[in-house]
Amino acid sequence: MIRVLVTDDSRVMRQIVIRTLRQAGYDWDVREASDGAEALAAIQADEPDVVLSDWNMPNMTGIELLRNLRAAGYQTPFGFVTSEGSPEMRSTAQEAGALFLIAKPFTAEGFREVIDPVLA
Amino acid sequence: MTATVEYDQIHAIAQEVFAAMVDGDLGLLLPWDGDLPDIVDALVAWVDLHGEWSGRAVLVTGSDTAHDLARVLLGLDDGDAVSRADLVDAFGEIANVVGGNLKSLLPTPGTLGLPQVGDVLPPLAGAARVQHLPLSWRGRLLVVDVWVTLPTATSEGTS
Repeated sequence: MIRVLVTDDSRVMRQIVIRTLRQAGYDWDVREASDGAEALAAIQADEPDVVLSDWNMPNMTGIELLRNLRAAGYQTPFGFVTSEGSPEMRSTAQEAGALFLIAKPFTAEGFREVIDPVLA
Repeated sequence: MTATVEYDQIHAIAQEVFAAMVDGDLGLLLPWDGDLPDIVDALVAWVDLHGEWSGRAVLVTGSDTAHDLARVLLGLDDGDAVSRADLVDAFGEIANVVGGNLKSLLPTPGTLGLPQVGDVLPPLAGAARVQHLPLSWRGRLLVVDVWVTLPTATSEGTS
C-alpha cells in the first residue's frame, strides 16, 4: 500500500484532500502534517512513498519543505496541492523537483488525471 | 498599477470553488436577487495579496451559514456541532482558495498571505473596494468582495 503524507496547515483541507484521494480510488495509508517543519520531521523519521503538500503555510512553506528535502538528499516523490496554480508557481515547483501541482479547488477526476501518470 | 478584475471573473471563481469544495454543482451560487438583508452575526474571512497588484479577497456571511459551510467541508451531518477552530479553518480556507485563484488572474507575480477570519473586516490602508458580489448560496446571502490597494500618487480611479 502506498504511504502518503498530506501536509496542509488547514485541518479542513487535509480532510478534503484525504477524502478526494479515496474518491479518486487511491486506497492509500495516510499520515498528516500541519506545516512544512512538521512534515520535514515526519519524513526524516519515516519516509513516505509520496508527499502531497500545500504551498502557503506558516513555519515552513511547501516550497521550502521540498528544497530542504532535496538538499538533505531525500528524493521522495512530491506534489503540491495549492490554491495558486499560476505558470510562475508551476515553474518554480518543477524546478525544485515537484512532480505535479494540483490547483485548488480540485475534483477526484482532477486528482486522477494528475496522479495516475505519475504512478504508471 | 492595478489590473482590472471583472465581476464575471470573480463570480466564476466563487462558483468553481463552491462547486468543487461544497456543492458538486456549478449552479448553486447565484447572484443575489432582490434587496440585501442585513447579515446577522457576520463572519468575515479574508486573504491579502501582495505585489505589484496588492489587495484583498473577502467573504462575508452569517454565522449560521458559515457553520453550514463548515459542516459540508468537514463531511458532518446537519446539526452536528462545529468548533470555533473548525469554523475559522473552513471559512478561511474558502477565502484562501478564492484569493489564490484571484492571484492566478493577475498579470504580475506576487504573494498570497495566510487566510484570516474575524467578526469584522479590519481596514486595508489605501484600498478601495473594486468588486462587490452579493451571492445566494442555498438562498442565503454570502458576499464576495475584492479590494485593491491604490497607487499612492492618486486617490481616485480603481482600474
